[in-house]
Amino acid sequence: MMAGKGADAEERKPVLELRQVNTHYGLVAVLRDVDMAIYPGEMVCLLGGNASGKSTTLKTILGYVTPSSGEVVFDGEVISGKSTTEIVRRGVSMVPENRRLFGDMTVEENLLLGAYTRTDKAAVEQDRQMVLDTFPVVGERLKQKAGTLSGGQQQMVAMGRALMANPKVLLMDEPSMGLAPILVDQVFEIIKTIRSLGRTVFVVEQNANMALSIADRGYVIQTGRVVLADTAANLLANPMMREAYLGEL
Amino acid sequence: MPAPLARAWKPALIAGIVVVYVSAVGLIEQFAEVYAIGTQVSLARVLLLLPLFLAGWVATRTTVERGERKVLAMPQAALSGAVTGLVGGAMVSIVLLAVDAIDPDTIGEVLIAVSTKLLGIVSFDQSLGTGIVLWLVLGAVVGALGGVVRALSPGARRVVLAGPLTIGVLAILQRVVSTAIKELGFRPDFLYDSKTSGLTWAGGIAAAVIVTLAVVGRDVLRSRPEAAAAPAARPAAASTGLGGFTTRQLVQGAVAIIAVLALPWVIGTALSGTVGTVMIFILLGLGLNIVVGFAGLLDLGYVAFFAFGAYATALLTGAQVNTTDGAGDPAFSLGLNFYVAIPIVVLLAAGVGLLVGSPVLRLRGDYLAIVTLGLGEVVSTLVTSKWAEGLVGGPQGMRDITGGDIGPTDFQNNPRHFYYLALVFVLLALYTSWRLQYSRVGRAWNAMREDEQVADAMGISTTRYKLLAFATGGAIGSLGGALLAIQLGSLTPRSFDVNVSILALAVVILGGLGSLRGVMVGSLALVGLPGFLREFEEFRPLALGAVIIAIMLLRPQGILPNVRVTEDIADEDRDQDAWARAAAGQPATETSAVEPA
Ligand SMILES: Nc1ncnc2c1ncn2[C@@H]1O[C@H](COP(=O)(O)OP(=O)(O)OP(=O)(O)O)[C@@H](O)[C@H]1O
Ligand SMILES: [Mg+2]
Repeated sequence: MMAGKGADAEERKPVLELRQVNTHYGLVAVLRDVDMAIYPGEMVCLLGGNASGKSTTLKTILGYVTPSSGEVVFDGEVISGKSTTEIVRRGVSMVPENRRLFGDMTVEENLLLGAYTRTDKAAVEQDRQMVLDTFPVVGERLKQKAGTLSGGQQQMVAMGRALMANPKVLLMDEPSMGLAPILVDQVFEIIKTIRSLGRTVFVVEQNANMALSIADRGYVIQTGRVVLADTAANLLANPMMREAYLGEL
Repeated sequence: MPAPLARAWKPALIAGIVVVYVSAVGLIEQFAEVYAIGTQVSLARVLLLLPLFLAGWVATRTTVERGERKVLAMPQAALSGAVTGLVGGAMVSIVLLAVDAIDPDTIGEVLIAVSTKLLGIVSFDQSLGTGIVLWLVLGAVVGALGGVVRALSPGARRVVLAGPLTIGVLAILQRVVSTAIKELGFRPDFLYDSKTSGLTWAGGIAAAVIVTLAVVGRDVLRSRPEAAAAPAARPAAASTGLGGFTTRQLVQGAVAIIAVLALPWVIGTALSGTVGTVMIFILLGLGLNIVVGFAGLLDLGYVAFFAFGAYATALLTGAQVNTTDGAGDPAFSLGLNFYVAIPIVVLLAAGVGLLVGSPVLRLRGDYLAIVTLGLGEVVSTLVTSKWAEGLVGGPQGMRDITGGDIGPTDFQNNPRHFYYLALVFVLLALYTSWRLQYSRVGRAWNAMREDEQVADAMGISTTRYKLLAFATGGAIGSLGGALLAIQLGSLTPRSFDVNVSILALAVVILGGLGSLRGVMVGSLALVGLPGFLREFEEFRPLALGAVIIAIMLLRPQGILPNVRVTEDIADEDRDQDAWARAAAGQPATETSAVEPA
């Protein structure tokens, strides 16, 4: 799960796979023949410009929208077409775009809601402890209303909440969005920490440089099509990438 | 603009509008001869001046300027309050002059409550000129009082307000209190003037002094060291354990229980009836609170469950339908005992909840409201229709409904007995609501209300929880209907029109969405008050409208909001944070995007 990356991972079975997925909103095609695979313990990022279909990819995985063709396979079983509740229950959890905490509830309640589908009280308590150890700031504010936290603190709670589900795959939608530059660094530190816990992470980012610097592999998507799929190192070196996404000429 | 004026104009404007409003709708004239104390202070006059007091109070709030909390010193507070009161008084004066210039009776052709007589009342029964001078002077004085009271320390404020509040409550509850005194075998003459029905000066002042002394005494006892931290610990709100009550809590609990049990014997038969009706609306409020307050589903057709509970009880216990020539057996009826029928009614109502709930599951907000409004109307129309005559009597309704009596009780004819029956139902519903609120289910509802999509992502099956809300809410509402059937012994479809839905919703919103105590307070205010204070009765719809608008504007969380124990800092401090951030040049987007509504 650390070095070796791609080669090592490819021998195993992917934990999450998109096979020729097409997703429509009404008549508008947003994802076109998308193929992706994420292997256990990997950290994969999904890059792309505005409205390229990044969030839609995550929504398709989580069952907010059902693909019009193709399938999403999780843990060896087709999950496309199943309800979000069912998909979450099987072990996918998401840190939504803009954090979207339950603002009127306390930080503690937010964390507990993350573990809503779990019945194993002792294990939940263990994970709670793990989250509090990972984010000490969260522990200091358990009784505070989540809506009153600062943006950076909210991001930590959002991640903690997603971790409380003890997911097999953790989806993140633009965790650095709307944060001041120092906080962006902090968020990527957190993602690194989560990664070092051995989690499988699939993260959508606009901040390509940062994302590639911590990911194993990356996909690049343009108007709903996967246009590049490679290891992070190769993507960072790719001239096309450098021009289009990494802000260099 | 000078500082006091800058703060004053808005509250003053609102106060002026309120004064003109309560006058124009006839409330003032109605209360002109209802005396609070002596013959000088009528409720009308209190009602006229109270808005200015509150305006002075509001204008004197602490503000945050340039990162510093500005607490007004006493002279400034008095000044700011006085200016506010003065501006408010001036506004009323301008309206008075305008009305006088146009001729009140001409205006009266459009606004029927406006008349020369009303103009006189609003001018404090003086000539217009004197009236205006009085408005300016009294406005300034009352506003200044508001400001001064606001600037006092919380402890001092309690002491100062205790007396006037006592007089206010005693005046409003004159019927209740004087009946209670009579029931206890005394004559209420020392407290209430038998001619004016208002408080006597001697009685009122004595009562005010006693209560003030009691408050002072309590504060002195509390001010011992360990009690200093008391404000932080909300009384009993959070204690959930069975044991571990302090002696104090036990004593308070015992007093409360005795008060609740003794109530009907203290307030007399007639008012017990009113309280019975209040309790029926508490049930409706508690049920609707689950749907709207907990789960966030705006249901405007809640009357359907009320009607269902009432008619189902009637049919299951074997009532008669009214026909043009007397009474007849309905098309379907069972002769069940009331207590056997009740669980069946509740279960069936839960089923109806699922039925109503499933077609509207995908609807949100406004659409849900409109569709449920329609469904409610369908139910009202159905029970009124000719088609349903054979089953529920159609427009004629039903009669001979069981009294549900056990042994010597007489629920239908003795409101005191009915009170206890209703009490049992209310306690059941309260306990259910309370358990639900702090359970897993309650948390899921909460999450769903705040953000349905994210709730889904937590693995909460929002479809199931919506249905569950409709089912439990419906079940509790049907209990209210069953009680109504017992209380009246007969039913007419007129009792089940859209007004019930609206009143129930008002009860929930007034008290604070999601708050159980709020439902009780809301019911007492909207259903009980008109019973206690007859003059209020015909103004209920108007008051409802005004109260709801005011609440939505000023206090969207209700009178007694569902207090969740959190440790976030007060709004004022947050303003300060926002200011500090802005000053440091950081973007405000970071928090503004997530500020709770
Ligand atoms: N519910 C919806 N109904 C219709 N169109 C939608 C819906 N959601 C998204 N779209 C459209 O699908 C396209 C892709 O949207 P998506 O949210 O996936 O973009 P994104 O890559 O996440 O963009 P961003 O970086 O701005 O978040 C956009 O053109 C958007 O307008
Ligand atoms: Mg997006």
